[in-house]
Amino acid sequence: MSTIETIPAAAPTQDELYQEAARTYSAPLERLARAYESDPEIRRDLLQDIHVALWRSFAGFDGRCSVRTWIYRVAHNVGASHVMRQRRTRSQALVGLEDEELENLPDSASGQQAADRSHALDRLLILIQRLKPLDRHVILSYLEGLDAASIGEITGLSPGNVATKIHRIKTVLARQFQQGGLDHE
Amino acid sequence: MNELHNNPAQEIWQSQPVEGIKMSAAAIRQRAGKFESRIQWRNIREYVGSSIAAVLFAYFFAKTHDPLFRIAYALFIAGLGWVVFQLHRKGSSRSMPAAMGTSTCLQFFRAELERQRDVVKNVWPWYLAPLVPGFAVLTVGYVRSLPYPAGLAGAAWLDGIVAVLFFLIWKMNRRAARCLQRLIDELYAAENPQ
Repeated sequence: MSTIETIPAAAPTQDELYQEAARTYSAPLERLARAYESDPEIRRDLLQDIHVALWRSFAGFDGRCSVRTWIYRVAHNVGASHVMRQRRTRSQALVGLEDEELENLPDSASGQQAADRSHALDRLLILIQRLKPLDRHVILSYLEGLDAASIGEITGLSPGNVATKIHRIKTVLARQFQQGGLDHE
Repeated sequence: MNELHNNPAQEIWQSQPVEGIKMSAAAIRQRAGKFESRIQWRNIREYVGSSIAAVLFAYFFAKTHDPLFRIAYALFIAGLGWVVFQLHRKGSSRSMPAAMGTSTCLQFFRAELERQRDVVKNVWPWYLAPLVPGFAVLTVGYVRSLPYPAGLAGAAWLDGIVAVLFFLIWKMNRRAARCLQRLIDELYAAENPQ
């Protein structure tokens, strides 16, 4: 995947910045929207809201952080706002990464089914969608392959805190997926 | 972006099928306009409830000939106007905050929670107190217009119910503010661990 980490000499316009960001980060943004909303119709709206927020935000982009950090911040912040709004209508309580409840997520799939990739993805989504916004930011950034320093820059968490959370994420993911035969295929 | 998959879950996550949704600049502008009108409609819906009550008080104002009742209804309308103005000012439904890219997720989330906490923390000055003068004058009006002790008993009942209602609203909002404060404290701790 190509990246747009620096601003070219001739400063691009808001539209140009957006078009490049949308082209490069189309798939991560779609995956991110999926992590914040399970209903396909509402998810489509959320994704469009993320794109609108991104386009608007580029009017104030000053290059103090990388474009990637900027894009993820905007997308996660729109996602967090969405979660806060939805919490008023959805009764399910959100949990933190350190919460014991995370270990006992419902397992609707059998062992064989769990080995299936789509079931593994469904299970991963269930896990992500139960998390509080900030922990959701961390696990999504981790799943997107971002390193700890980048996650810290996007979320604002201290390096120590990011490291603790990633360690916890690895433990939870290992427990959730090892039995399904997905550990290091 | 780091494309290495250290964990099988990362590979599953990144290789999931996506539709590849893209929006042109024109579509974005159109969507931004729609977003603003959606926010406006949401605000209008919030104000409709208050407006219905205001219209009802205006109707009572027009029907009654007792100057004291007229003052009470006028105070209610003014009080409701103040509540609606405060609701608008405090921004129960806002358009997209401008600092989405400059704030880290933690700062953004905390600012949103603090804003919500400030709205519910003390509902007295902006939500309950503006309606008190109307109720006070209405009470005096009832006591004066009905024979003793029926007027006094009626007013006591009315004020008792209103007082209980106000107390419950205050209590519920205080509890909501405490819950939000706990979340805010968690975020401060996450930013600056001991």
